[in-house]
Amino acid sequence: MRTERRVTHRSGTIFDTSRFYRMLSTPAMLLLTFLFIVPLLITLSKAFISTEGTLSFGRIFEMMRDPYTQRILRFTLFQALISTIVSLAIGIPGAYLLVTYSFRGKHIIRAISMIPFVLPSILVVLGFVIFYGNNGILNSVLKQVFNLSEPPIRLLYTFTAVILAHAFYNFPIALGLISSFWEQLPQRYNQAAMTLGAKKWTVFRTITLPRIIPAILSASTLIFLFCFSSFAILLVLGGGPKFTTIEVEIYRRARMSLDIEGAAALSLLSIFVTITLVAIHLWLQRLMIRQEDVEQIQEQRLERKPHTIFGKFIVGAYVIFSIFFVLGPLAGIVYRSFQIPVSRSGDLAFSFDAYRQLFGFKQAPGSFLSIAGSALVTSITIAAITAAISLIIGTMLGARLRTRDKQGNSSLELYAMLPMAVSSVIVGLGYYIITSTLSGGDTLGRTLVILAHVVITTPFVLRSIVPEYRKIPISYSQASLTLGATVSQTFWHVELPLLRPALITGAAFAFALSMGEINATLVLADASIVTVPIIMYRLIGSYNFAGACALGTILIACCAIVFLTTESLRRSHNG
Amino acid sequence: MKRHSLVLVLAVFVCSSLLYAGGLYETTENGKQTLTVYAYDSFVSEWGPGPLIIPKFEEKTGISVNLISAGNGGELLNRLEFERHNPKADVIIGISHELLHETLASQLLEPYQASALSHIPAWLHFDPTYHLLPFNYGNYAFVYDSHAIQNPPTSLDDLLDSQWRRSIILMDPRTSSVGMGLLEWTIAYYGDSYLNWWESIKPNVLTIADGWSSGYGLFTQGEAPLVISYTTSPVYHVLYEDSTRYAAQVFEEGNLAVIEGAGIVASSQNKEAARLFMEFLLTEAQTDIALANIMYPVNTSTILPDAFTYAPKPEKSLMLPSELIAENREQWLREWVEVMSQ
Repeated sequence: MRTERRVTHRSGTIFDTSRFYRMLSTPAMLLLTFLFIVPLLITLSKAFISTEGTLSFGRIFEMMRDPYTQRILRFTLFQALISTIVSLAIGIPGAYLLVTYSFRGKHIIRAISMIPFVLPSILVVLGFVIFYGNNGILNSVLKQVFNLSEPPIRLLYTFTAVILAHAFYNFPIALGLISSFWEQLPQRYNQAAMTLGAKKWTVFRTITLPRIIPAILSASTLIFLFCFSSFAILLVLGGGPKFTTIEVEIYRRARMSLDIEGAAALSLLSIFVTITLVAIHLWLQRLMIRQEDVEQIQEQRLERKPHTIFGKFIVGAYVIFSIFFVLGPLAGIVYRSFQIPVSRSGDLAFSFDAYRQLFGFKQAPGSFLSIAGSALVTSITIAAITAAISLIIGTMLGARLRTRDKQGNSSLELYAMLPMAVSSVIVGLGYYIITSTLSGGDTLGRTLVILAHVVITTPFVLRSIVPEYRKIPISYSQASLTLGATVSQTFWHVELPLLRPALITGAAFAFALSMGEINATLVLADASIVTVPIIMYRLIGSYNFAGACALGTILIACCAIVFLTTESLRRSHNG
Repeated sequence: MKRHSLVLVLAVFVCSSLLYAGGLYETTENGKQTLTVYAYDSFVSEWGPGPLIIPKFEEKTGISVNLISAGNGGELLNRLEFERHNPKADVIIGISHELLHETLASQLLEPYQASALSHIPAWLHFDPTYHLLPFNYGNYAFVYDSHAIQNPPTSLDDLLDSQWRRSIILMDPRTSSVGMGLLEWTIAYYGDSYLNWWESIKPNVLTIADGWSSGYGLFTQGEAPLVISYTTSPVYHVLYEDSTRYAAQVFEEGNLAVIEGAGIVASSQNKEAARLFMEFLLTEAQTDIALANIMYPVNTSTILPDAFTYAPKPEKSLMLPSELIAENREQWLREWVEVMSQ
C-alpha cells in the first residue's frame, strides 16, 4: 500500500502539470461558478441581514438554537440514513446478481429501474397510492381472491411507506453505480482465492467487498442527499407533519411566508450539514480506492447461468421482487390513464379518452404537433443535449480529479458536488436572481434551462466516472506516454475506452434526471419552454389526473426505449 | 470502435441542437405596444385562462401581451421585489387577499379604481386602497364522494364524529394555500380555541398532503371519501367528465373565502395599456377565467354555464383580516405543527 501510494504521487505529477488536464476542467468550473455558485451566494448572503437591515449572525445562531429546527434536522438525517440503508440493501444483492449471472430479463431490470427518475414526485406518489393504497390495485386483487371486506395491506401513511417510496426512487442508483463498477473488476483474484480453497462468502467478504466500497460510497452519498431534500413523498405517504424535513421549512419560508432571509439561514445550516457529509464521503473514497488491472478489453467476464436450484430460486425471487416493486407503481400510473368516468354517477371504466384528449388538443404554436407531442420532443431534446454536455463536462472534471493526493483536488471535487448538496428551492431562488438581472427572449431561456440541467446532472456523471477513472492504473497511461503518445492521445485512446461503461451509466442518469426536472425549468423559462413534467403538473392542477397519467405512461414508454437502447450499447461493449 | 462512438455521440448532440435551434426563431412584430403580465403558473398553463383571454385582448386592443409564469402568489411578490431595480412586469395577476398586508407594505403596486368595480359586490373589494383588485374568488369546502357517503357532514364540528375515522384528506398549511385556508377557517370560526378542533380531528385524518394536487389526486383515487377543496370543485366533474359523483358541502357556520387579486406595477411604463388590461380582466375575461380556473367570477353580470349550479354558494363567507394573518401566521403554524406532530 505504501509503495503504491508513493508511485501514484510521483507519476500523478505528470497529470497535474499537464496543461491538457487543467484545460479540460476549466470550462466546467466556470459554468458551475457562474450558473450555480454566484446566484447561490447571493441568495445565502441574505441570511446575514438582520430584520433592521444590518449585518449580523443573529439569525443563524437563533436558527441553530431553536429546538424545532433541531428536531426536524435530526429527523431529516434519520430518515435519509434509513432510506439509504434500505436502498443499498435492495441494490447491492441486485448488483451481485446482475454481475454474476446471466439470466433472462436482466437487461430489462436494469432499464426499468431507471424509470422512476424521470417521473415527477407527485406522479410517484399517485403511482404508489394507485398500487398499494387502501383502494389500490394490490388490495382490490387480494380482497377479491380472499373474499375480504377490509383492505388487507395497510402500508401507506406510515414511516414504512416513506422508506419504501424512497427505496423505489433510489435503489436504481445503487444498482446502476455498483454493478457498472463491479463488472469492470478483474476476476483473477477471486479465482486465485477460490483455487486456494476459499468459500464464496469469504471471497466476497475479503476480496470483492473491499474493492466495490468506492462505488457503494458513491451510491450511498447520492441516495442520502436525495432523501435529505425529499418532502412531497414524506408528507403525503407518511401521513402528515410528524415527518417534517428541513426542505419543508425552507419551502414554506421561501414560497409561502416571503421570509427569504429565514429560508437562506435555514439552508445555510442544511448546506453545512450536507457539505460535511460529502466531504467525509470524498475523504473516505480517497482512502479506499485501489487501482486495478483493468482487463475487460482482452477478457470477457464469465457470467454463468444459475445452476443450483437454490441459485435459480434466489435469482427468480429477486427478478420477481424488483419487477413487482418497480413496475407496481408504474403499472398503477398506466392503469389510471385508462380509467375515465363513463356515467353520470362517475363509475370508472376502461377508455382511451385521456389519450385522445391529450393528442387532440390544439396544436402548440409553431409546431405541427399537439401540445403533449411537442412537450415530449422538447423534453427529449433538452435531456439529450444535457446528457451530452454533462457527459463531456463530467469526463473533463473526472480526468482532472483522478489524482487523489493533491490537496487542491479535494476541494475541486467538493466544489463540483455542491449542486447535490443544496435544496432545490434555494437553487430556484438563485435562478430568480439570474432571470431578474438578465433580459432576453426565449433563446436565453432555453440556454439557461439546459445549462441549469447540466449543473444539476453533472455531479451524477462525476460520481459514476471518478471511481472508475481512479481504478485505471497510472501505469497504463505511463506506458502509453513512454511509447510516444501525447497526453491528449493517451486520454482519447487509452483512458476513454476504459471508461465506457461508466460513461453510459452516467449519461443514462443525466438523461433521466433532466427529463424529470421541473423546478429550474419553470423558473428559468417563464413558461416559454414546456416540458413533459410541466404539462403533467398543469394537468393535475386543472383536475385532469387521467390525462397526467396518460402523459406519464407515454413518458415511461419513451424512457424504457431509451434505457433499453443504452443497455444494448453496454451489452455490445461487454459482449 | 471508440472513435466510432465518439462520432455517434457528437452527431446526436449536433443534430438535436440543430433541431432545437430550429424552434428558436421568435416572431416579434415591431412597432406594437407590448404589455408584460406576470401570473401564477396555472393561469398561464395550456388549461388555464391565459391562452383564452390573451388573444381576445390582443385582438380587441392591438396591444400584444407577454404573459409570463412566475410561480404562486408569494413567489410573484418575491420576484417583483428581486426586480425592483430592473422592473419588467406591468401587471401581476394572482395575489390573494391573504397577502394584502405584505403587498401594500412592499409599495410595488399602484392603485387603480377600475370602472368595472361597480359590478363587483362590495364585500369582494378586499383592498380599500385599490392596489389589488379582485378578479375571481372561491370558498373552501369539504368535497365528498357520493359513492361512499350518503349523509355528508354539515359543519366543522360534524367532521369530528368518529364515523369519519381515517376518512379525511387534508393539506399542510406550511406548503399549501388550501391547507392554510382550512387553518384560517378554524381560526375564523373557533377563535383562540381552534387547536381543540385540530386535536380532535387527528384520528379522522387519513393523511395531510403537501399540496392540493396530491391531496385531491388521492381523493379521486378513492383513498378517502372526504377532502378539503373548493365549493366549485364539483363543477369540473360536471363540465368535463359529465359526472355528479363528487359534491361539495356548504357548512352551517360559513365557508372561508379566498379572493384573488391583480394589480398594476408602480414602475410600469405602460400604465394606459395596463389599465385597459385590468378593465378587460374584470369584464369580458370573467367567463373564461371562471371556466378555466373553476372559481366564481367577481363581476355579477357574468353569464355562467349550468354546471355552476353544482357549486353551492355558502350563506356566509368567512375571512380573516390580512394584518391579523401577517402578524400571527408564524405562531399559528408553529402551534399547528406542535399539535399535529404528536
